[in-house]
Amino acid sequence: MPQLFTNKRLIILLGSIIVLVALIGFSLRDREHLSWPEQFINDVIGLGQAVVSKPAQGVAGFFDDIENLRHTYEENKKLKERIQQTAQLESEVERLKRDNEELRTVLGKRESLADYEPIQATVIARNPDRWYDVITIDQGEASGVQPNMAVITAEGLVGKVKTASKFTSTVQLLSAHDSRSRVSAVIQGDENIFGLIEGYDKQKKALSMTKIPYDAKVKEGMLVTTSGMGGVFPEGLVIGKVKEMTPDEFGLTQTALIEPAASFDGFEHVMVTKRGMTTVLPEEEEQGQVLVEGGDL
Amino acid sequence: MKRLLLPLLVIVLFYSDSVIHLVFPESLFGDEQVAVSRLFLIGLLFMAAFLDRNTALKYSFLFGFFFDIFYTGILGAYMFFLPLIVYISSKLVKVLENHLFVFCFIVLFSVFLLELIMFQLNVLVERTEMTAAQFMTTRLGPTLLLNFVIYALLAVPLKNAFEKLPRI
Repeated sequence: MPQLFTNKRLIILLGSIIVLVALIGFSLRDREHLSWPEQFINDVIGLGQAVVSKPAQGVAGFFDDIENLRHTYEENKKLKERIQQTAQLESEVERLKRDNEELRTVLGKRESLADYEPIQATVIARNPDRWYDVITIDQGEASGVQPNMAVITAEGLVGKVKTASKFTSTVQLLSAHDSRSRVSAVIQGDENIFGLIEGYDKQKKALSMTKIPYDAKVKEGMLVTTSGMGGVFPEGLVIGKVKEMTPDEFGLTQTALIEPAASFDGFEHVMVTKRGMTTVLPEEEEQGQVLVEGGDL
Repeated sequence: MKRLLLPLLVIVLFYSDSVIHLVFPESLFGDEQVAVSRLFLIGLLFMAAFLDRNTALKYSFLFGFFFDIFYTGILGAYMFFLPLIVYISSKLVKVLENHLFVFCFIVLFSVFLLELIMFQLNVLVERTEMTAAQFMTTRLGPTLLLNFVIYALLAVPLKNAFEKLPRI
């Protein structure tokens, strides 16, 4: 039996365990800004990643297209039915929009929580070890991306920017397990019902929305959007639809299971939303207590 | 020119896992199952067995660090455990036989070890709520299967590549 640990090896092993623990502790701190070596490495690797993932996505897209082609006929039939309703809806939306604008000018209130400026981005990488749902996109601070901004696809909200380097950023998806991540949301009905999106149930494939008042009457299929009250996300980004309601363990509030509108995998293009109105972030020292959107309320 | 080939190959291997993840849809094994490709690790193991152990240790340390920064965000995890697993497997290669069939088991064992360590680590830092039973049923099986397929496809080319490359 050869001796596995000589003195030198043992010292190396122990030394690296200390370094490991220190590094993990360092990286788990709730930090929004990466140190410059990390940013630099992120940008360099991101460049290479963008080069290799573009053709890969082309290949993936090709397979998707074939898959889509098989369902074309049925989808076409359904869409035709939809189109007729859409035309009516569109004219109504147009009328309401005009109304809204006019009333706003009457009030002298120009800005709204719902205004945002979209920044187009492409997904260049997904965390390959798949323990934590993060993706990397090809836009960074250089194009105005900041930590905590909401990230959407055409279907709805998918996540928020976790960290931003100069030319790439990391996006944490709503499906990632993070006890500090909350999104202030609203269930749209006759009355707006506010709550918090926290957590994702992987088995049921549903987000859970907590802190809904016990007497709120929520029906299945009601639309859930961001409320804009968290301070960072704009108002009115679609999150999903109510699937199921359950009272919480003390009966003081209710919890809703929400079927997300956007799927968390298989998308390629996203938009980062830069809110038009001032964003509110808690002071550094407050962050322990105050939870802001994506660490936030 | 020949000196650049090895770093280039490692870079390709480094990106390969995320590209595999991008190209193949998550639902490849059904909605519940999670299959993770570990081609980068497999490449490093081949390097340790057929090129030079210490070179492989250096590369796994450096690129493990990059992996941490760029993909996972937990610094130190891959930087520390990739070299450790490469080291363990190279010891196993010495004890056992340096044959592709035997090596397959060493590779799968290493993949298992890495998955297990990463599972424990992610539970520790509260990034997952998965229980050990869930881990065994939904993650381990598909991952080992996928990596076996990758091994079966790429074992011979990887072996040939590393045997021909100069040591740097």
